[in-house]
Amino acid sequence: MLNYALNRVLTLVPTLLAASFLVFMFIHLIPGDPASILLGDTATPEEVAELSRELGLDEPLWTQYVLWLGNVLQGDLGTSVFFREPVLSVIAGGAETSILLATMTMFWIVVFGVPIGIISATRHGSWVDQATSGGAMLFASVPTFWLGLYLILIFSVGLGWFPSSGFPSLADEGGVSNLRYLVLPSLTLAAPNAALIIRLIRASMLDVSREDHVRTARAKGLHPVRVAIKHVFRNALIAVSAAFGFTFAALVSEAVVTETVFSLPGIGRLVVQSILRRDYPVIQGVILIIVVFYMAINLLVDLAYASLDPRVSLK
Amino acid sequence: MALLDIRNLDLRIARGSELLPVVQGVSFAVEENETLGIVGESGCGKSLTALAIMGLLEGSAVRIAGGSVHFQGRDLLTLSPEERRRVMGDQMAMIFQEPMTSLNPVYRVGDQIREAILQHRSMSRRQAHDRALDLLELVRIPDPVRRIDSFPHQMSGGQRQRVMIAMALACDPKLLIADEPTTALDVTVQKEVLELMRGLQTRTGMSIVLISHDLGVISETCDKVAVMYRGRIVEQASTSTLFSNMSHPYTLGLLGSIPATDHDVEWLDAIPGRVPTLDEAVPGCAFHPRCFAAKGSCRTVDPGAAAVSPAHFVRCHFPQGSSS
Amino acid sequence: MSVPLSIALVFRRRALATFGMCWLLIVGIAAIGAPLLAPFDPLEFDPFVRLSDPGWPHLFGTDHFGRDSLSRAIYGARMAILIGSGSVLIALVAGGLIGMLSAYFVRLGHLLMRIVDVLMAFPALLLALVLMTLLERSVLNTVIVIGIVYATTTARIVFGMTLKLKRDVFVDAAICSGARHASVLFRHILPNLVSPMLVQASFIFAFAQLQAAALDFLGLGLPPEVPSWGNMLSEERIYVTRAPWLLIFPGALIILSVFSMNLVGDALRDNIDPRFKNDIAGV
Repeated sequence: MLNYALNRVLTLVPTLLAASFLVFMFIHLIPGDPASILLGDTATPEEVAELSRELGLDEPLWTQYVLWLGNVLQGDLGTSVFFREPVLSVIAGGAETSILLATMTMFWIVVFGVPIGIISATRHGSWVDQATSGGAMLFASVPTFWLGLYLILIFSVGLGWFPSSGFPSLADEGGVSNLRYLVLPSLTLAAPNAALIIRLIRASMLDVSREDHVRTARAKGLHPVRVAIKHVFRNALIAVSAAFGFTFAALVSEAVVTETVFSLPGIGRLVVQSILRRDYPVIQGVILIIVVFYMAINLLVDLAYASLDPRVSLK
Repeated sequence: MALLDIRNLDLRIARGSELLPVVQGVSFAVEENETLGIVGESGCGKSLTALAIMGLLEGSAVRIAGGSVHFQGRDLLTLSPEERRRVMGDQMAMIFQEPMTSLNPVYRVGDQIREAILQHRSMSRRQAHDRALDLLELVRIPDPVRRIDSFPHQMSGGQRQRVMIAMALACDPKLLIADEPTTALDVTVQKEVLELMRGLQTRTGMSIVLISHDLGVISETCDKVAVMYRGRIVEQASTSTLFSNMSHPYTLGLLGSIPATDHDVEWLDAIPGRVPTLDEAVPGCAFHPRCFAAKGSCRTVDPGAAAVSPAHFVRCHFPQGSSS
Repeated sequence: MSVPLSIALVFRRRALATFGMCWLLIVGIAAIGAPLLAPFDPLEFDPFVRLSDPGWPHLFGTDHFGRDSLSRAIYGARMAILIGSGSVLIALVAGGLIGMLSAYFVRLGHLLMRIVDVLMAFPALLLALVLMTLLERSVLNTVIVIGIVYATTTARIVFGMTLKLKRDVFVDAAICSGARHASVLFRHILPNLVSPMLVQASFIFAFAQLQAAALDFLGLGLPPEVPSWGNMLSEERIYVTRAPWLLIFPGALIILSVFSMNLVGDALRDNIDPRFKNDIAGV
């Protein structure tokens, strides 16, 4: 297992380097002088000249990349034009919201997605199945911001059950009860993803249930529920677990829209605001962090996949 | 009283809004410690008959339209699903054609055998584990202590079929249904598996229903034979009677030899033509389009089952051998 | 089975898919006939009828500039079709070519698929955001960006499917009989990819609508004056409590169109080569 993991990490390195190069190039692709872009409109010519020297802007591109990568590896992602703060600490400020939102969303996806998917598959062809799998497809077709706006309209404005926007830290007054700020956003973000998971569980379970070994399990006299869970769902889980991973990895960036609708101080909203503020160092830093996170999760998915399927050779 | 007694079993498959017959009026009985062979080409309904006996048609497009399946004196078709499951895997077990895919790839073989035991017997996991080891030894898996922790993909086809047999024997069934158990295996392995099954039968006294398309396999293993063609039993007799006095042209064709009756001897490798599909209506005897002996009435009148000798039934207007 | 025949078969069997197809036909007609069908100029301000309720003559009401919502919705169908088909075209042509060539020419494949891997290291919406940051807001750029995002997915899918086809006997036979690479690729492999790619196209068409609407909402998609359903939602969202219909109509139009396209893709998927079923990225 350790060898397999090491091997997977090593094959990821070139992709990671290439992706980081693209992120580095981001600043250079924007029309204008990189030093002025990084410093914003208010910078003096002296400041621009100094940063140019620091970044090695008169050096060849690859030297600049190595310089930049060296800084990144030491945790220096530059300074935010807007906040006048190190980019890393700006991003760290949004991390709590983003991670809590993603975790809560995953919770809904599992709580709603798994049982509904299993029921839909085991009652294949019945009206229950048609309603759930059709309903899931409908939910997968709803723009998240539209759903979010209506959830606010109904549950915040109308019924007053949940706050409509913002998220005070769990460390602030209110403590854990502040999680109620994340209920509507996480449900909004979960809806289309849970819908996809339902459809996937259903399809994978139907595939597995046609396999010969399921007939063997039934021939043992096992209860249909046991067959469905232990033999069909367990085997379908190999494919489904990968989807869970990809979904989680994508949540942080998908949350861009949701965080904007609910004005949550997360990383997603930071991206959008930084784009609108032309705060390029922050944009660059966030992209880099999201990409690294995304690849790390995908790596974990691979490893989980290998441990769920004994047929995958671990050598 | 016979252990298994099947009367007039009718199976139909749902095709769109129609129900097409796939098995019609099948009757046979299996005594204790007896082996019955069901032989026929693929699509003749032999596997569906087996699945119907076992109770595995639920959830498929095939419906039981009539008949009875008496097992140990009870009609299985009248039992509730729950009662049915109590028989399945306990008193009656089944092994399948594809050993490569019939085991769940994600569980160790020991776990899969243990599951079969614990479903019907209350014992500790430890005891079930020991029982699984005994079973693996019984089916002559080498080094069972190590093999019990193997995954199916780490075993050969022959070994997997042995595991399947071990799993089927988990609760000492009175009846083992074996659907083409050796078809997917190499010739040498086939022999070993058949010998194993025979040996186990001697030891346990169970009855076997062996389904095969291979008359050779049947002749070596079975006490009685039922030959099926297009959903019906066309000939049924004890193995010795059948092989000494084959009466249905189809049975002769299956053996691969058709001795000519009135002129020169000719040998054919196979039966000409193909099995008509379900929705093709064949008037008269279902076999007449492919029959070397078909005459006028074969094309219009369906022959009923008739006894050529006391325990030898044949469905043919002009049974061979019995010179009329 | 030929594609048109399978479409006919599927639609006879699946009422929902037929419904989807009908709705898409309506959207198509609205898109083509927009200048004839729209009762008002979709861009014309009328300060006297701001945020008016649905009724006569403004059937869908008016927005906060007094523009006629129905007319904007009808012109919005144009944008929906344009963005859907434009990004499908880019994704299938670019992604399809990259995927096929990569699977067929092994060495080139190593390089191309690595590039695809790198692009796929960026989550779809993030990639679209980053690209839109670098480009000006315009219809063409939106189409290109969404097209590129789905071209990477398509490339990987087509790559996998071509690898499977390459193992088929008929491809070996074609190579052995001395067929030229172009002939093997386009006369033997491509025809087998048409059906699965058609299925993929319908799902990309659906995804592209949602992606474009999200970009519009974030203020990074189509220019704000362009009458698209996404822009209608984005611009009027602050009036949601005063004029809820302003969000219901365009929202329903997006949902119906995406749902319809998903239904069509789902129905078509049932009829393709079962080996390719799990390769398709869809709902």
